[in-house]
Amino acid sequence: MDQRILSAILAVVVMPIVLVGYIQLGEWILSRLPKRLALRMRPYVWVFPAVAFATVFMVLPTINTIFISFQNAKGAWVGFDNYRFFFTNPDTLASLKNNVLWLVFFTGFVVTFGLLISVIFDRVRYESAAKIAVFLPLPISAVAASIIWKFMFEFQPASHAQTGTLNAIIGTFGFEPIAWLINTTTNNFALIAVGVWTSTGFAMVIISAALKGINSELLEAARVDGANELQVLRGIIIPLLMPTLTVIATTMIITALKVFDVVYTLTNGAYGTDVIARQLFARIANSDYGRAAAVGVVLLVAVTPILLLNIRRFREQEEVR
Amino acid sequence: MTRFSTGGWRKAAAFLAIAALLFAACGGATSSPPATSQEPGASTPAESGGQIGGQLNVWTAWGGTELSAYQAVLAPFIEQTGIQVNLLTIRDQDLQLSNNVEAGTSLPDIANPPNPQRYAEWASKGIMKPLEDYLDMTAYTASTLPGLLFEDPNYGFIDGKHYLLMVKSQLKGLIWYNPKVYTGDAPETWEDMVGVSTSGDTKPFCAAFESGDASGWPASDDLANIVMRQSGETVYVDWYEGRHKWTSPEIKQAYETFGEMVANDKVYGGTNYVLSTFFGNAGDGLFTDPAGCTFMEQATFIPSFFTQNDPSVKAGEDFNFFPHPKFNDEFSGNVEGFFDTFVMYNDTPQARALMNYMVTDQAQQLWVDQGGTLAASKNITTYPDLLGGNAATILQGAKNILLTAGDYMPADMQHAYWKSLLDYTNDPSQLDAILANLDTVQAASYTQ
Amino acid sequence: MTALARDPARPAGQSLVRQARWLLRKVPLHVTVGIVVAIWLIPTLGLLVNSFRTLHDMKAEGWWTALFPPAGFTLESYKTIIATSGFGTSFVNSLLITLPATVLQVVISCFAGYAFAWMKFPGKDLFFVVIVALMVVPVQMTFIPVLKLFAATGLSGTFLAVWLAHAGYGLPFQTYLLRSYIGSLPREVFESADIDGANHITKFWRIVIPMSVPAIAANLIFVFLGVWNDLLIALQYMGQSANKPLTVLLAQQTTSLGGGWQVLTAGAVIQMALPLAVFLGLQRYFVRGISAGAVKG
Repeated sequence: MDQRILSAILAVVVMPIVLVGYIQLGEWILSRLPKRLALRMRPYVWVFPAVAFATVFMVLPTINTIFISFQNAKGAWVGFDNYRFFFTNPDTLASLKNNVLWLVFFTGFVVTFGLLISVIFDRVRYESAAKIAVFLPLPISAVAASIIWKFMFEFQPASHAQTGTLNAIIGTFGFEPIAWLINTTTNNFALIAVGVWTSTGFAMVIISAALKGINSELLEAARVDGANELQVLRGIIIPLLMPTLTVIATTMIITALKVFDVVYTLTNGAYGTDVIARQLFARIANSDYGRAAAVGVVLLVAVTPILLLNIRRFREQEEVR
Repeated sequence: MTRFSTGGWRKAAAFLAIAALLFAACGGATSSPPATSQEPGASTPAESGGQIGGQLNVWTAWGGTELSAYQAVLAPFIEQTGIQVNLLTIRDQDLQLSNNVEAGTSLPDIANPPNPQRYAEWASKGIMKPLEDYLDMTAYTASTLPGLLFEDPNYGFIDGKHYLLMVKSQLKGLIWYNPKVYTGDAPETWEDMVGVSTSGDTKPFCAAFESGDASGWPASDDLANIVMRQSGETVYVDWYEGRHKWTSPEIKQAYETFGEMVANDKVYGGTNYVLSTFFGNAGDGLFTDPAGCTFMEQATFIPSFFTQNDPSVKAGEDFNFFPHPKFNDEFSGNVEGFFDTFVMYNDTPQARALMNYMVTDQAQQLWVDQGGTLAASKNITTYPDLLGGNAATILQGAKNILLTAGDYMPADMQHAYWKSLLDYTNDPSQLDAILANLDTVQAASYTQ
Repeated sequence: MTALARDPARPAGQSLVRQARWLLRKVPLHVTVGIVVAIWLIPTLGLLVNSFRTLHDMKAEGWWTALFPPAGFTLESYKTIIATSGFGTSFVNSLLITLPATVLQVVISCFAGYAFAWMKFPGKDLFFVVIVALMVVPVQMTFIPVLKLFAATGLSGTFLAVWLAHAGYGLPFQTYLLRSYIGSLPREVFESADIDGANHITKFWRIVIPMSVPAIAANLIFVFLGVWNDLLIALQYMGQSANKPLTVLLAQQTTSLGGGWQVLTAGAVIQMALPLAVFLGLQRYFVRGISAGAVKG
């Protein structure tokens, strides 16, 4: 035990030192090189650790995944069969449709709420305290979140006292209890609501950080000039926060494509709530690595448009400088 | 502004030198894995009476009360042998084990088996070690319930050898009732049971199918118990092995029979309640006042949920069971059983000692004494309560102990199966479409 | 905090009408904040309250009834968890996994974020897109190749393996986040530093880091959270009971059928305590004015 604590302490101290030392050493070597060569080599030195990690842990396995996606469960080459399966099987298509719902509503709500909450909370003195409430869902593990929402969505027959929060609330207004997760009208949105509840805190923390970077004199000047809050939001805050909002939106789109925990623990994809990532999980459980890989590749392809958008925005950002 | 340019390289070198030294120091600490179970210890497997010492890595899916029961069973073993048993609770062992097998990394010494589809492969590759290597097979076959020793791949019998050690058993498909509410005789046939008259708000049945990512499994047991008694064991086995279609008359009839138990007007709380409620709470309706329902079908492990939910209910007084009613005489000897098993993945003296210990009468009795389970050994006759004894009698006297069908289907098929029952309960009019879909999944998933 | 963000000093000695009008402008704001806080807090509050109740009570009535007498609170769930053998060790194990993994990732992502944001090199965008695209790859697909790698390098089952794995999985997002933030820092500050003859290291430590503190703090919070709450990666790469983190200990509180789930309510509260503390502790870095100048688009 002591040995492990010691090694952890050493790791916490040593790893940053090694990394900083690496950069220092790299820069020193570069300073000894001809200027133009140094200029060209420098970026690679700085990004090397991050790229190396990403390559080892994600790029190479992904390339491996792409290869596997063209094989069947026994390892024989089957071309696009797995992809054909994905796009013709009714279950996978239904899950694809649900992911689109998530893409639109989950992303939309998280970005909107994240922004509005950051802006509104910024205006009160007890901001830090208020933020806690919205942040709280984040450290809650998937298992605990499923317990929380089971309490929220719980259904008791109308004759019994309602133990679920939502049904109790609508009960006081005289409505019959609803089986939120079973009823196909409500279930997808119930799950999306859980996702939004969890992720808005994430958006809030990041947007709030960026919001603090906006010069308050700018905001004050606008208000003095007679702009109301909505105009300040639309005219100043949003344009200045565009980079951050893009980051949030992109991350949320990726989250929506990857969504798994919420659906898995609350409905396991039943009653028409299935999503792509759960399908992938099912394929792996069945040892259908080829089909699982195909799902993974589809996700990769689906995410490319957003990335191209990101590149375009980065390039614009750099041109303006 | 501080300028690093001149002293920079000295600082950099210093950084890296210190770093290198520290890394060397801690490198030993982090990279040495804890003592593996490949102890160069006793060359002869010691008798369970002697001190062996050493380490043993065991993976189990058990948690909560199951885990503490197992720890109680292990206590004498640890004392006798001096082995340090490292227990780790992992739920999804099939995934972890198969990843380790694929990657060639080390496996735990003893763990649960993988999905049944992998048995044949792992047995032939020597990943799972056969019981014949380390167990006294004569004693084992003499003391274990015959129904668990069925020589079939799904019971772990491959190429003439056994690979799964049977340690515990359960009986499924019992009809639970509250003796204070239902005072009549045990219904003999299904029609009798469905036809039992009820008064007022008390519905004939209670059910609850929610179970997180495994939702629907209680319903799958209900259906399995119907299929095996309605259409017999041959149809049953063919069905879960993928040779018998879902759209066949036998399976369709079974679904419709199942529907009699979960019809919206026949079940406590209606189908919304059944689908939304955690299976452990299925018995709630038995104990409300006035009673919500008369009967509830579940396995031998449900009483622990009854008593956890309401510590005041007592076995025999507030809840009891009778066996599943029959459909005909021909197949009435079929029961659905469930067993817990362990597989040895690394042949070490410590692993051998534990595998041998778990099937001794001492261990089996200890296990049963903890409550909530039946033994795998047929020598156990004393149970902490009469319910266990009754269930054990049924198990011992059954003509065929059949497996939980869903567990022996490919994962895809099983999941579709569970889901189909939820969908059917939600909307029985969709039966034909549901069964047709299951046929499609069946055609695609039984690939190995 | 600027003068504007604060409530302007109550117009003392002003007419009642003006005071009322001031209040009226402020009230909707506070009410809105109140509503948002309530909506977000209620689900978690349910969990918190239920963690102090018995299973029987939880099933009989909704959690809100416990707030009024008769209350019927119990510490049973908490006691069960804390009494589990190995609780203290697993807590420490979680720390041993989380702290180094967090430090590693945050440092690397700062360097990479700066380089991607302010240096030019061919293939920069391609590199970056690939890194970010990887965020979508489900982690399950990487287990087998990485396991083989760890086995080949003798890292199987060590803490170091888990630290490296978390870094590998987390860096795409963090690089993305920091690159975006650092990229939006004002050019003038860098230019004036260039004029003073500063090299990249100086610019990094004197400009980038101080001005990026909110983003780094945000990053720190999320990395810590992600690693602290992880179950799958720790099990896959380290699967030994001696090293099991808190998440595994909590998972073993329920039977394989899900019985005993009421204990998890207390487990969740225990588990979220530390990340919440980290969040609160880092709040002071989310303060306006750190960045010396306007953030330009």
